[in-house]
Amino acid sequence: MWFKRKNLVTVLILCLLLYFSMRLTEFDLSKFRDFRNMIDFLAQWFPMDTSKLPGMISDSLETVGMAFLGSFIGLFFGLPISFIAAWNTSPTKPVYHLSRFALSFMRSIPEIVFGLILLTALGLGPFPAVLAIAFHNIGVLGKLISELVEASDPGPQEAMKAVGSKNWFAHLFSIVPQIWPNVLSHYFYRLEVAIRTSLVLGFIGGGGIGQRLFNDFKTFQYSSVSLDVLIIMVIVIIVDLLGSYVRNRVI
Amino acid sequence: MLELNGVSVRYPGGEQEALSDITLTLEQGEFVCILGKSGSGKSTMIRCINGLQVPTRGEVRWDGRPLSKMSEEQLRKVRRQMGMIFQHFNLIPRLSVMQNVLTGTFGYRSNLKNLIGWFNDQEKQQAKQVIEDVDLSSMADRRVERLSGGQKQRVGIARALVQQPQVMLGDEPVSSLDPGTSNHIFSLLEQMHRRRHLLTIINVHDVGLAKRYATRIVALKAGKIIFDGKPEQFTDREYLETYESQEENGKTKNR
Ligand SMILES: Nc1ncnc2c1ncn2[C@@H]1O[C@H](COP(=O)(O)OP(=O)(O)OP(=O)(O)O)[C@@H](O)[C@H]1O
Ligand SMILES: [Mg+2]
Repeated sequence: MWFKRKNLVTVLILCLLLYFSMRLTEFDLSKFRDFRNMIDFLAQWFPMDTSKLPGMISDSLETVGMAFLGSFIGLFFGLPISFIAAWNTSPTKPVYHLSRFALSFMRSIPEIVFGLILLTALGLGPFPAVLAIAFHNIGVLGKLISELVEASDPGPQEAMKAVGSKNWFAHLFSIVPQIWPNVLSHYFYRLEVAIRTSLVLGFIGGGGIGQRLFNDFKTFQYSSVSLDVLIIMVIVIIVDLLGSYVRNRVI
Repeated sequence: MLELNGVSVRYPGGEQEALSDITLTLEQGEFVCILGKSGSGKSTMIRCINGLQVPTRGEVRWDGRPLSKMSEEQLRKVRRQMGMIFQHFNLIPRLSVMQNVLTGTFGYRSNLKNLIGWFNDQEKQQAKQVIEDVDLSSMADRRVERLSGGQKQRVGIARALVQQPQVMLGDEPVSSLDPGTSNHIFSLLEQMHRRRHLLTIINVHDVGLAKRYATRIVALKAGKIIFDGKPEQFTDREYLETYESQEENGKTKNR
């Protein structure tokens, strides 16, 4: 029998939570009465204005560059750190705890916060955005990869130890081939996320197509906005396809 | 020469010793099979020999030198003289037969310079040779997960042989293989044993195989040696004693 008093209480609490959330967020479907305005607004987006296409393309490349560089630096540092943050490969207990703490600290700062700080300190442009993405991704990839390391089969490691291999050698050669496909999956997912993040970082002055979108929007150039949005969608789809292609090739 | 001198192992939290007071001297050229029920301490003993397990008491000596007195570096040098094969093969997935065999040379590498040097021609030649010895030449470039169990174990043997070992250790190397394949692996091990004048020490569950190939049988029970002698001396009586369930203080031990 699922209908119990306990369940009733749960439902009541849930209803209360929903009610307060709606109050707090001014959730009000009646606002759609002015839906026509929205359609009028969207009508201004078309036809697209292709005159600024070359600039948009170079900005998009900047965005892709930001995302790629940021997430790659994240992987570059996250991968080695993940090995000292996994209990089965960490050199000592203190190092293990310290590195885990460092990783969760990096993860806990959202890119946008870090971006705001760096953009103020280093000036506007893509470089601070790259650093913000990299920093956060060291934390995320370091943690995710350390979990892969911990879940890897201990057999090959033992075999490498028995062969007389140095520890770090054994780890490198017996674990990396095992986890590599999953590392790539995580990496490509993080690259996709980094593309979206670099758009947001563009809004706050980090450059790229995100900044252009923001500027076009604020200056009411909606026929350019529509093309910006289209380009962004194409980028995300291409990165997604590329990711699944590489993953399939590797597995 | 390998000596075990009163070797005992108690695992953390273990109520009794997994290995208790083992004293044995093993000479080059012996083919030793270790028999014993599950949990009798066979794996623990094998792992003490190459220092994967550190005894709580007693010591293991290799060429007269106790492993416990050795630095990490010296211990690595001992390990590379001892090849080891495993029940579950412990090959590195996603790498080819050749690459797996080449990892057997890692004991001879100590720094980044060696790593960058990757594998030299001599190592590749040696690897080719041992792959031929275990009759896998036609599959050298195949990924190991696409091999049968018997083929995988032959890769394991090749990886151990490329170390140019003096000792060959096996922790139930045929327990996940069918009888025919097991026999094949054992005859291969014996062939290598003779050719290279090894000291071979293998854990087995199959008494028939042990009696056929061993020159010496050691039987363990509850961490103690209850038999040490020639295969023909291991008769039905010893067989029963090794494998009959033991009732200690009236309670049976569950695992
Ligand atoms: N890592 C460990 N931690 C705690 N106890 C262990 C550990 N490894 C083995 N033991 C215990 O030590 C005893 C001997 O184990 P060991 O693995 O050496 O037996 P075995 O003869 O190899 O058994 P099997 O035939 O099942 O492989 C067993 O009672 C086992 O439960
Ligand atoms: Mg065992």
